[in-house]
Amino acid sequence: MQKSMVQQVMVQQVGTVTAEDGAGHAKAKSSLMRSPQFSSFVILVVLLVVFAVADGNFLSPLNISNMMAFLPELGIIALGMTLLLTAGEFDLSVGAVFALAPVVVMLLVQNAGVDIGVALLAGLLLCIAIGAINGVIVTKIGISSFLVTLSMLLIVRGAALYITQGFPLKSWDQPGFFVTLLAGSFNIGAFRFYTSLWWFIGLSLLAVYVLRYAKLGNWISAIGSNRNAAVARGVPADAVKIWLFIATSVLAGLAGMISAFRISAASPVAGTGYELEVIAMVVVGGTALTGGRGTILGTIVGALMLRAIRNGIVLVGVPGLAYNIFVGVIILAMLILHALLQKNAARS
Amino acid sequence: MMQEVLRLQNLQKSFGSVRALKNASLTLKEGEVVALLGDNGAGKSTLIKAISGVFPIDRGDIYVRGEKVSIRSTREAMDLGIETIHQDTSLAPDLSIARNLFLGREPVNLKWLGVFAPLDLAKLRDAASALLKRVGISKKLDADALVSTLSGGERQSIAISRAMQFAAKVIILDEPTNNLGVEETHGVLRFVKEMRAAGHSVLLITHNIHHVFEVADRIVVMRRGEIVAEQTVADTDLLTVESLITGADLSALMKRAQ
Repeated sequence: MQKSMVQQVMVQQVGTVTAEDGAGHAKAKSSLMRSPQFSSFVILVVLLVVFAVADGNFLSPLNISNMMAFLPELGIIALGMTLLLTAGEFDLSVGAVFALAPVVVMLLVQNAGVDIGVALLAGLLLCIAIGAINGVIVTKIGISSFLVTLSMLLIVRGAALYITQGFPLKSWDQPGFFVTLLAGSFNIGAFRFYTSLWWFIGLSLLAVYVLRYAKLGNWISAIGSNRNAAVARGVPADAVKIWLFIATSVLAGLAGMISAFRISAASPVAGTGYELEVIAMVVVGGTALTGGRGTILGTIVGALMLRAIRNGIVLVGVPGLAYNIFVGVIILAMLILHALLQKNAARS
Repeated sequence: MMQEVLRLQNLQKSFGSVRALKNASLTLKEGEVVALLGDNGAGKSTLIKAISGVFPIDRGDIYVRGEKVSIRSTREAMDLGIETIHQDTSLAPDLSIARNLFLGREPVNLKWLGVFAPLDLAKLRDAASALLKRVGISKKLDADALVSTLSGGERQSIAISRAMQFAAKVIILDEPTNNLGVEETHGVLRFVKEMRAAGHSVLLITHNIHHVFEVADRIVVMRRGEIVAEQTVADTDLLTVESLITGADLSALMKRAQ
């Protein structure tokens, strides 16, 4: 009697799995190779090799330094976007926030004579407010994040253009604590790196920790995977989403400040189109656009990949005006590959 | 006399002008399986959502073990020992079995870190494996397997064993056998009997009257937001119950047809 019907059913159904148990190691290995971040990684390596062979300057210290200077600015936003996408939402206003935050900070400093530290704090609060508004409208009123953040993109971009009258501002270029903190640089051998790389590395580690090892990460994945199930278990889904919108906005603002300090200019049109490029990085890395499955490692690979593509195809001589075609084609190819791998995994 | 676990008294709930619950009263005793029957729109879902804290009731009282309580969230319902298992909505398919079993009640280290506290992965895994073994689900079902790789019956079993794990006094099963195969359905019904044997009280919502006669002790029928009948299974039959659900006197119709 103990060996009940359920047990029998279960045994039958998992029979195929148990047969493989002896080769558990091989199983773990193949599941790693089938994971989306692994296939992205392989493609990244292939791309790097192709570019390196095609143009000797691709791996030169100067070019690598250049790539590493740009990488964190989009990469930092992509970290927030990964968590948000994993929870089943996304944010189209990040590119606009990237522009507005430094513009507001610089206007406060230059026109209102506010101390740079206070102005940065005001910029931070602004980003928190934008993220909170996004999050509250999405969760409490129940409008899709596509529509809410698209509207926010227009509002924020419009605000940046209006308060600057469309002109770029000269950024803060006096050396000091904040400039060093956000855009300081240092040399390692022939390589020149910016402190933004440390920000990116630090925030990446934090994001990996949160998503994979913290209680919060369990909640984020559960919300994106099946919101009702998470809510039924007492997970505060709305609060988690609102905080993720805030985090994404703050990271976009931080990236904007880093960029403005690095190039000593705050432009109201900076970051145009970044929202789509960031989302591309995240999904190319293997995070599901539909939520539930997110990978920070994949996002880092995706960020590296899009940076390498943008840099590499210029070096190999693709005409400037044609180069978005190549970026689009490569992204599409990546996504098709992921879809095929997933189908294969499901079949086996 | 079995002890009373849950008592609902004159629950009322309206959505705009729609009175989804008019005056629902119901008592659930220890170790009892009560089947809640009714057609679509009869108010079953509203009733169980009110008990499980999805939304507050407009009027009426809820007593748990004789004590008056107010249930304002799913969390509060769970803390009172009321676990609800919805049809397909109980598990997150992209999470492992272990992570699903402890969703919302994750064992953590460094508790003071709040939501940033690291999961106690070893404990999570061990507890999940022990639970799978204890409830008799195949020992070969890996606690780290993603729920998306499981069959419908396996998922239902996981959801039910999770409710049992947390020693829920009241387990509400919302259409637990929907979309399940024949064998899987029997597995779930066996689970219901086991729950009763273990002293849990079960409120079973289903459309399948045959299942009711197989596992339930008592039948409660709802129609248009009201409880219209309450009978012990031993004292009734299939036709009578169907008549109660539809509101038409089927046995009279049958006689006339003959």
